[in-house]
Amino acid sequence: MDIFNLAFWTFVGVVAGIYGLLALGLYVQFSMAGLPNFGHVAFMALGAYTMALLVIQSHVSLVLAALAGIAVAMLFGVLLGIPCSRLRADYLAIATVAGSETIRFLVTNSAFTGGPTGSIGMLGPTQLSTYTGQWTPFIGGITSFLSTFFGDAATNDLSMFFIVWIIVGVAILVLWRMEKAPWGRVMKSIREDEEAAKSLGKNVFSFKMQALIIGGFLGGLAGVLWALEIGVFSPDDFQPTLTFYAYLILILGGMNRLWAVPVGAVVFGILYSGTRFLNFYPLSLIDSGARAYLRLLIIGVVLVALMAVRPQGMFGNRKEMLLEK
Amino acid sequence: MVWQQLAQLIVNGLIEGAILALAGVGATLAFGIQRVANFAHGDYLTFGAYVAFFVNVTHGLNLVFATICAMLGTAVLAAGVHLVLLRPLRGRGLVALSLITVGLSLILRDALFLVVGSGTRAYNFNQTTVYNLQVVRLSPGQLVAAIAAAVLVPAVAAMLAWTPMGKSMRAVADNRDLAEISGVNTDRMGLYVWTLAGALAGLGGVMLGLIQGIFDPDLGFNILFLIFTVIVLGGIGNAFGALLGGLVLGLAMEISAWQGFFGGLPTQYQPVLAFVVPILLLLFRPQGLLGRARVL
Amino acid sequence: MTDVQLSVENITRSFGGVQAVNGARFEVERGSITALIGPNGAGKTTAFNLISGFLHPDSGCVRFEGRRLEKMAPYAIARHGLVRTFQAPRVLTRMSVMENLMLGAPGQPGERLGMAWLVGSRSKREKEVRAQAESMLELVRMTHVANEYAGALSGGQRKLLEFGRALMASPQMVLLDEPLAGVAPKLGEELLDHIVSLRRDQGVTVLLIEHDMETVMSISDRVVVMDEGVVIASGPPEDIQDNERVIEAYLGKLKPGSAAAPTTTS
Repeated sequence: MDIFNLAFWTFVGVVAGIYGLLALGLYVQFSMAGLPNFGHVAFMALGAYTMALLVIQSHVSLVLAALAGIAVAMLFGVLLGIPCSRLRADYLAIATVAGSETIRFLVTNSAFTGGPTGSIGMLGPTQLSTYTGQWTPFIGGITSFLSTFFGDAATNDLSMFFIVWIIVGVAILVLWRMEKAPWGRVMKSIREDEEAAKSLGKNVFSFKMQALIIGGFLGGLAGVLWALEIGVFSPDDFQPTLTFYAYLILILGGMNRLWAVPVGAVVFGILYSGTRFLNFYPLSLIDSGARAYLRLLIIGVVLVALMAVRPQGMFGNRKEMLLEK
Repeated sequence: MVWQQLAQLIVNGLIEGAILALAGVGATLAFGIQRVANFAHGDYLTFGAYVAFFVNVTHGLNLVFATICAMLGTAVLAAGVHLVLLRPLRGRGLVALSLITVGLSLILRDALFLVVGSGTRAYNFNQTTVYNLQVVRLSPGQLVAAIAAAVLVPAVAAMLAWTPMGKSMRAVADNRDLAEISGVNTDRMGLYVWTLAGALAGLGGVMLGLIQGIFDPDLGFNILFLIFTVIVLGGIGNAFGALLGGLVLGLAMEISAWQGFFGGLPTQYQPVLAFVVPILLLLFRPQGLLGRARVL
Repeated sequence: MTDVQLSVENITRSFGGVQAVNGARFEVERGSITALIGPNGAGKTTAFNLISGFLHPDSGCVRFEGRRLEKMAPYAIARHGLVRTFQAPRVLTRMSVMENLMLGAPGQPGERLGMAWLVGSRSKREKEVRAQAESMLELVRMTHVANEYAGALSGGQRKLLEFGRALMASPQMVLLDEPLAGVAPKLGEELLDHIVSLRRDQGVTVLLIEHDMETVMSISDRVVVMDEGVVIASGPPEDIQDNERVIEAYLGKLKPGSAAAPTTTS
């Protein structure tokens, strides 16, 4: 494939935006409140699965189903928060991974969620329309609107691109304001030293819950958008690896820089998808089936190299990074 | 018949449990020292399994020798990672180190996939006979693993309990600061712990490959979560807890399929134990089965 | 005692077999400066933790302004006007000195989720808090490091920051855990003046743990002495100085290698 294929890069742009939204959810939990949630992908899974289930099994309208998906993700945030908020960081990491793997395991092994084949399994062999049935006319309308500006380049993916990135933009604006407000200050203080925060009258538990719920909201939203964009998803789309991608995006941008998150997402998207263009020798010796392994290998190397050599990512403050206790 | 099934499940469970126990001991000691979840630990097992494969199959050498090579190779790997990456970057914090181990895990696993391909491998070992021991049946792989376990699990336990090195390791894993004040060279202990963890992981990988019969580069990764569960079950940093916890978890997962328990848990749900157990423990008894309650 | 603001009644607390506090009982009068002294390991910081809610007593009760505190969460106790500092200062390392101080101020509606995105960082209250923080910076002579990361401060500066931050909370009573430790002598004297003026100008009650006997005797209205988890004496400084039990408690610890020798001026 030609490296300048617009359709391909539009798709990459959509995926980058969705991962960026996921990373923003992680930003609130980890960069702001200091909660190392290693099971963040569970929010995405819950958003996608809930929406798909409601539309397919219960014939709920798409809008309601999407909102319900996000709500379920937020609820899971509450569920996580109640026990986990008093766990120390290393225990929290394991507990949250356990949480997300449990969700993934349950949807893999339950017939009504389609089992290992995911959304295809949900539909069954006789169904022809997918749960995206209500979505298609909507996005088709946007596409035809866009075609007045972009002509032939206006595809559904392009419409989705705009939708996703507008959402990302709004999310960043809102989070930016919140971060600058006293609310953000309290969050940061919890990240730094929650006993100090308590001694000053801050209800640390409540704030942690808020972080988890907001993280759940953004993660669930990412899941809903993912389901709409990709259409066909399965439990394998929600492995812990995805949570680590979100962390990688945060690190790429610079752990504590909100506006750097979308930049990190774009870089990640390019990194991840660009490996398919590594057609030159000696990498061309690797057959395309094995390309996936090469891609993951590169991501692993980038992860290690970043953390070792440049933990502040592109825009972070190295002084601040090294002050970490 | 029901009781025969139970006996078989118990034996299966003990063997699997022994592998989890050996891998878990190394992992919990390392976790106790560094306070970092090593997401690459499963891949250490895989690495060991493939080193053994390389020696045993590619070069046609004896399996015991191959296992020793596996243990050595993985020990070197673990120690190397510790010296080059984990120790110098200790100050970066828990999440940074965990992410480094994630990256390592990806590197190890996917490099292996690239080199050996995704096809399954097996050792140069006759897996076709079935040993019928009246009450239970064992595959040759299981038999070897069982013998190895029966020898090594007590050996490791004894080493940890009675040798000065073992005691120091446990002290550092349990409470690093306290051990440091008591004069233990915690840096050197860290190196020794990782070397031991690597060796045990290599061994565990070979044993796992033997009882499964065939394996691919996902071998260890597939049980990573079980290893974490063992760590939590036994109490982070508690070596004996991990030994016990591994055996308990292995038994629990197998026995849950027993018909005597309301028809038994369908096998596909067995791993649920591996998820629910750590969550429940972390909520209600974070110090695990054997740990002491501590301010977290 | 006429106006008891804080009353500690027979609190006990043990850790894995060690009885850290074993039935401590004392009272603090409103508007006074009370010193809590005693050899190392007497249970003073544990008592602070028990009063401020960071630990819960195994038995006994703590009354502040008529409220019972033993079962309250630490943040709720702080909201009721009882603020404490820590022996090893807990500054927020990756936040600026200014942010540290502003965090302390109570009653910030911008801290609530609903208000945060509405008002952002430019509300009226925020301006007030900033002004208050600026004057606090002048008080502790740290205006020049206002925008430095708190993590870059020296130990003594961190102590000052914690002190200022606690005051930002406009407390009715403040528990100071070794406020002078690690602070340069001249600055320490100024700090003492501030502590005294706290009581005089703002009616803030002070309960402090301190090892420097000169300081303790010079500024305190009352002294409470703890040893091995119990209160062995309490009263005006002059009485405590000559109290035999107290002298014994300290002398008894003057075995070779102990670290508890105070600098008394008897």
